[in-house]
Amino acid sequence: MISTSLIPCGQYKTSYAKDTTLFDTPVTRAFCVVGVLVLLTLPQLGISNYHLTLLIQIGYLSIAALGLNILVGSTGQISLGHAGFFGFGAFASAWLHNKFGIPVLLAMPLAAVMTTLLGLLFGIPAGRLKGLYLAIATFASQFILEDFFARADWFSGGSAGAMAGTASLFGFDLTGDRSYFYLVLFWLVTMVLLASNLLRSRDGRAFVAVRDHYLSAEVMGINLTKYRILSFGISSFYAGLGGALYGHYLGFVSAEGFTILLSIQFLGMIIIGGMGSVMGTLMGTAFMVLLPEVLEIGFGALRGIAGDVAWVTSGLAYAKQASIGLAIILFLIFEPDGLVHRWKLIKSYWKLYPFSY
Amino acid sequence: MKKSLLASAAILLASTMAHAADPIPVGHIADLTGATGSVGKPYAQGIADAMKYINSKGGVGGRTLAFETTDYAYEVPRAMAHYKKLLDQKVVAIQGWGTGDTEALVSFVAKDTIPYFSASYSGHLTDPQGKTSAKASPYNFFYGPSYSDGCRALVEWAADDWKKKGGTAKAKFVHMGDNHPYPNAPKDACGAYAKEKGLEILNPIQYSLKPGDFKAQCLSLKESGANYAYLANTSGSTIALLKSCETVGAKPQYMGNVWGMDEASLKAAGEAANGMVWVVGAATWADNNAGMNLVREISKMSDPSGTEPRPGHYIRAVCSAFYMKEAMDAASAMPGGVTGPNIKKAMYTKKDWVPAGLDGVCLPSTWKEDDHRGTTSVMVYQASVKGTDIGMKKIFTANIPRRTEWLGW
Repeated sequence: MISTSLIPCGQYKTSYAKDTTLFDTPVTRAFCVVGVLVLLTLPQLGISNYHLTLLIQIGYLSIAALGLNILVGSTGQISLGHAGFFGFGAFASAWLHNKFGIPVLLAMPLAAVMTTLLGLLFGIPAGRLKGLYLAIATFASQFILEDFFARADWFSGGSAGAMAGTASLFGFDLTGDRSYFYLVLFWLVTMVLLASNLLRSRDGRAFVAVRDHYLSAEVMGINLTKYRILSFGISSFYAGLGGALYGHYLGFVSAEGFTILLSIQFLGMIIIGGMGSVMGTLMGTAFMVLLPEVLEIGFGALRGIAGDVAWVTSGLAYAKQASIGLAIILFLIFEPDGLVHRWKLIKSYWKLYPFSY
Repeated sequence: MKKSLLASAAILLASTMAHAADPIPVGHIADLTGATGSVGKPYAQGIADAMKYINSKGGVGGRTLAFETTDYAYEVPRAMAHYKKLLDQKVVAIQGWGTGDTEALVSFVAKDTIPYFSASYSGHLTDPQGKTSAKASPYNFFYGPSYSDGCRALVEWAADDWKKKGGTAKAKFVHMGDNHPYPNAPKDACGAYAKEKGLEILNPIQYSLKPGDFKAQCLSLKESGANYAYLANTSGSTIALLKSCETVGAKPQYMGNVWGMDEASLKAAGEAANGMVWVVGAATWADNNAGMNLVREISKMSDPSGTEPRPGHYIRAVCSAFYMKEAMDAASAMPGGVTGPNIKKAMYTKKDWVPAGLDGVCLPSTWKEDDHRGTTSVMVYQASVKGTDIGMKKIFTANIPRRTEWLGW
């Protein structure tokens, strides 16, 4: 019993399959399954719409952030243009639905495929550029896409934006947050499984090799250009899907939602969560989404005590933005490996309790 | 049987009484920190003060208005997300702000039957039945002349002015503004009318809603030889533009949209704003009449000393809140009480409507089931700035015809 639920202290793995297993013990697998089941029943348990909104937000942002983590965390490329791809997915899905009448549920993955093609295109400079130079190249793609959204009336509705229809399944409209939650959860679980499996595949190992030492990787026979561009493509697929989910959730896509700030926030999510970690991405996204809300509750309480004072109200908006920046700085200093590392420390502390060494 | 009937009647009575004392939830979406914050702040203050004042006088049929001012920083997605929150709170009406978000929400508020009183006066919101425009906006209301009608009035004035000045060739008219739903709203409609009035239309010049250095735009303005420049942005970036153009030496006749100029901005722009004309949608703070006395009382809700001068935006906000309040009053007498559809119905009951106590402040307005152009009467003011001497006076009032084909344009 003990041997099946605890991880032995030391290396006892005798096969590659054991080394790359997704769940170290049956207990962790059971934990994940139960976690998903709990999420499935949440809407039925009368969770408030506000909390449901936050969960949905964490869902679609996590999907996009996962893509960025594959690119930045696992392949070691840098992208400051993730929000552009996120937005492209949102517009593409709305466009496919409005223009060609493709059902929303199908338009979403199709939009993700379109975003992939775009990502492969914008990823081409990555074959030649590294580090800061690549950062600036992706920065440029962000601006190109942002301007494209504001001007391409035929595609995005220009500055006026585009309506994104509601998804429907067998004639039922998935309009309410409750039903949309399931849609987001379905895609999140699918994409998390895909990402976890990708990272233990041949291509995933190639990504990590490129990240860790590109010269050695090349010597080992890994085609650097191919894997760098492929990584951009995969990351764009995730971004596009996340964006499509976001667009149809709000019901409206507007060009101004996909600024460089959102790109930076995506980077913040994976840095705070943990670079190269699927679990860390989820934690980082949850952190980034919940932090402003928690602060708002705090400031709301403060406002309740202080009364309706102007500087508290205006201070709230400021403190919300500033706190995100502060959180990133603090994480870089105290927890460069992200939330997921802290989580592992907590786990090992209790595993060895009370005889930790 | 009789007893149970009596009991249920008593319960019914008790529940309706409890219902009567419940506050009425109202949404308030404002821009305090975004690109249009310079005019968004006083407008939001006007809405908040007016609703607080209404509450202090007993609210609507004994029920207070419950609202919370929410800053969405002029970002459409944030407004959309907040709208979902407001749905949860079961608001019966919303006081909103910008054109981008209001137009994005048109079909949502129609579906959820929530009257939306916007600070966007976009012409696209005036066609409730979708008669002549692509999209019907049955639940959108705003107080004041639409942007398109405001710009048309400026065009009428410009045509007169050009004649008076003895211009022989065609006057050149240019639209200036950001590539954003708000500055874009009157672009085509106004351009078409300018053409009709015999003006020559130049290529539009783009300048950002966020104040910056606009010398490049001013140089193209100067080069274009425009005689009349319509500034479609809000006051913050208009000040920056006027200043930049003064340095460059571009001197067309500037004409501002209703959000493009106000008393404080005149002070900030200084002599660069001398001679500028712009649309004013209600009385001004300097006016003295019974209605303005009420506005000054309302202003004391946030400024007890009563010394702070309020711009025109604040006063239009008060009008918007009071039209909503009186519609709610009328709705509370209808079967079903204060609900979205009843408020909408109540908006159509009066003709040349001015909220009680605000005579001489709000322009008489009439909303019809097939026409949401509350008023088409447009006041044009001109600024005179010399050193620290700042003046503004009404020089023109236009009554724009209510053409059917202009609905929703």
